[in-house]
Amino acid sequence: MNTTGHIERDDLVLFAMHLLSREDAEIAAAHVHRCPECRRELTEIHGDLAIYAQTVDMQSPPAHARERLLSQVAQEKKFPPVDIAEEPSLPARGFGSRPSLSDDDLPKRSAIGKVFPWIGWAIAAALAVTAGNLYFQRETLRGSLAEQNTQIAQLTNDAATSREIMDTMTDPTAMRVTLTKAQSQPVPQARATYVAEKGTLIFQADNMAPLPSDKVYELWLIPADGGSPVPAGVFHPDEHGYASLIMPPLSKGMEAKAFGVTIENEGGSQTPTMPIIMVGT
Amino acid sequence: MYRETGIVNPPPPSTQDDAALLALVRRGDNYAMASLFDRYSKIVYSVALRVLRDPAAAEDVLQEIFMQIWRNPDAFIATRGSLGAWLAVVSRNRSIDALRRRRPSESIDDMALASNYNLADEAERNNMIEKARGIIDHLPVEQRKTLEMAFFDGLTHSEIAEMTGDPLGTVKTRIRSALTTLRKAFTA
Repeated sequence: MNTTGHIERDDLVLFAMHLLSREDAEIAAAHVHRCPECRRELTEIHGDLAIYAQTVDMQSPPAHARERLLSQVAQEKKFPPVDIAEEPSLPARGFGSRPSLSDDDLPKRSAIGKVFPWIGWAIAAALAVTAGNLYFQRETLRGSLAEQNTQIAQLTNDAATSREIMDTMTDPTAMRVTLTKAQSQPVPQARATYVAEKGTLIFQADNMAPLPSDKVYELWLIPADGGSPVPAGVFHPDEHGYASLIMPPLSKGMEAKAFGVTIENEGGSQTPTMPIIMVGT
Repeated sequence: MYRETGIVNPPPPSTQDDAALLALVRRGDNYAMASLFDRYSKIVYSVALRVLRDPAAAEDVLQEIFMQIWRNPDAFIATRGSLGAWLAVVSRNRSIDALRRRRPSESIDDMALASNYNLADEAERNNMIEKARGIIDHLPVEQRKTLEMAFFDGLTHSEIAEMTGDPLGTVKTRIRSALTTLRKAFTA
């Protein structure tokens, strides 16, 4: 720099000839960039150097140099730039006079661009697998549901049958007939059906004599293990002498040796009152 | 020769100015490129050969510069002055880079250049060359030799000072004075 804040002309000449050190050249370039006066002077110096360059002893290049250049030019054949203003607003690519786009015309893809389309395929594949799994699960659930529906229908049917049985057995309006030997007197009799494992009991009695209102019949289960008789329910026979006990509360697994009936006071008893008027083993 | 290079269009008239030829080159006209080569290859090659002193290396620089014009004709715009003048300086700078085995400077071609001469015209170009040579021949021998060492040999002022034994300031002044004389002679 000189005293006026500009680059010394001697240095500007060296700068124009690329002969300054790297550091000095960077300083000069920065100054020239912002200083119109030095930039103008640099332009003049370049003109001076161009004139001086013409003073060189002229030598024609080898004859093959021209051929070499034009061959390379032919290899790097380029097409005239397209005037955008002359372009139709909506060119029908592939149908008009303009050629269709080739792969070379398309912009080069980046690494992300190359990978990106496969992400879509990967997502589609994942969705397909997920959809397949969901379909399989749905079909499994559907099969299980159908099986359960079948079971429910079967149970419902069984329940309905059981209910019908129960209703028939317990319906007070049902006609109950006990067939005996002809011309013989009917005698009191009862039938107990017991499943020890389940603790279920069905008891039906016919031709039972009516009792005073303060008395009841009581059914007893006599355990097979020799234990005390277990009360299995009380009942009143109807006007036809019929009575029943359906599924009285009994403990499961209690083996029975025999069943007996006694007459007890209203409300029943925890121990049988003698005599036992009916017994069966 | 044109057929050998695959050029089938007729060559443009050599009277076309540089801007017109560059416009044709921009549109991919091989003939325009051939015309520019015919017009300026001698100065480009001569400068490169003077700097490098190697015909093969000078030819490489020649090819490189003209292919640059073919690939990017917009790199040179008319406001930068004469294409011929610009090519001469670019050839010198590229050759210096080659001489120093350094990567071509990116800023070499980004160079504005003042020129009042139409080097596209052969007669005017020859006239200017003769005038410049006359001026240089009349320079003091120290100035002429110092400018030659700096421009064509690519020696820095420090290297020139070391070789000649002259002070650095003297070397700088001689280079600047020689160019000043050249400019004054052409602006007189």
